Amino acid sequence: MLREKGFSTFVIVGGLTAWRKAGEPVESVPENDLVKLPTFS
Amino acid sequence: MNLFSLMARHGYALTFGLLLAEAIGLPFPAAIALVAAGAAIAAHTLWGPYVLLAAVTALLLGDTVQFWLGRYMGWLLLGFLCRVSINPETCILRSAESFYKRGKVTLVIAKFIPGVNTMAAPLAGSMKMRFWQFLRLDFAGALMYSLTYLVVGFLSRDFLKAILRGFHAAGRAMEAVIICALVVYAIYRIVQYRKYRMYRVVPRVQVQELAARLASEEAGRVQIVDVRSHGYYDPGAARIKNSIRIEPNNLEEELKHLSKDKDIYLYCT
Repeated sequence: MLREKGFSTFVIVGGLTAWRKAGEPVESVPENDLVKLPTFS
Repeated sequence: MNLFSLMARHGYALTFGLLLAEAIGLPFPAAIALVAAGAAIAAHTLWGPYVLLAAVTALLLGDTVQFWLGRYMGWLLLGFLCRVSINPETCILRSAESFYKRGKVTLVIAKFIPGVNTMAAPLAGSMKMRFWQFLRLDFAGALMYSLTYLVVGFLSRDFLKAILRGFHAAGRAMEAVIICALVVYAIYRIVQYRKYRMYRVVPRVQVQELAARLASEEAGRVQIVDVRSHGYYDPGAARIKNSIRIEPNNLEEELKHLSKDKDIYLYCT
């Protein structure tokens, strides 16, 4: 769909796993980006 | 051989099997099985208390499995169960909010509500309901659900027999309708496939290639985008540095976060 809309799009082979294996930098997801389910307790 | 004659021969095992299958999320006609079992009870080919025991045990067992899977697999399982929804993310959050607003008693009536019946047990687990509380409420729900459809089958045995006779008489016509429906569905799928086929081949890049580009003067033309549906829900979750997340099931809305001046690199787990 992104390509249909005219965006130049690529896919990273192996995703986050391959990125980590290659030793490339990662970061923690910021607290305000996290999505939480409601809980009973 | 139809469901009613099957029930007469293997009623207890069939009731247990079909209800267990539905409880663990498989698309089996558990309510129809209960109605058939009720009719079999009315015909004295099955004994009511045994059927009820088989039904409630199967439902409790399946729901307990779903509860604990929901507790430990959370979003992964819920996303799988919501797969038929147009927007799985909204399906999960909306179901959870609805469940939470109506309260724990939702478990008692969940089995009568399409969609909620599959989500209720794993949601209860994901939302940290106490297990013994879940078990009590789920037992009440399983009992109510089983009794309702068994009674329907028991009271409408003669009516159901008449319907089956009608289906048998219309046999050829029913076969033609079903075959036509399958052909139309197959044509629709082929058309959809051909329409989107050209967009399925998205260029792939190796990590090293992207890393080299990021280290070069072209770094400003790169935008890395996380399209995971569940990676942002657990504390301690990680992402590629400086990447942004977009909701893959809500792309129309998310497009405003993307730039056509940049090359978009997508990744998931």
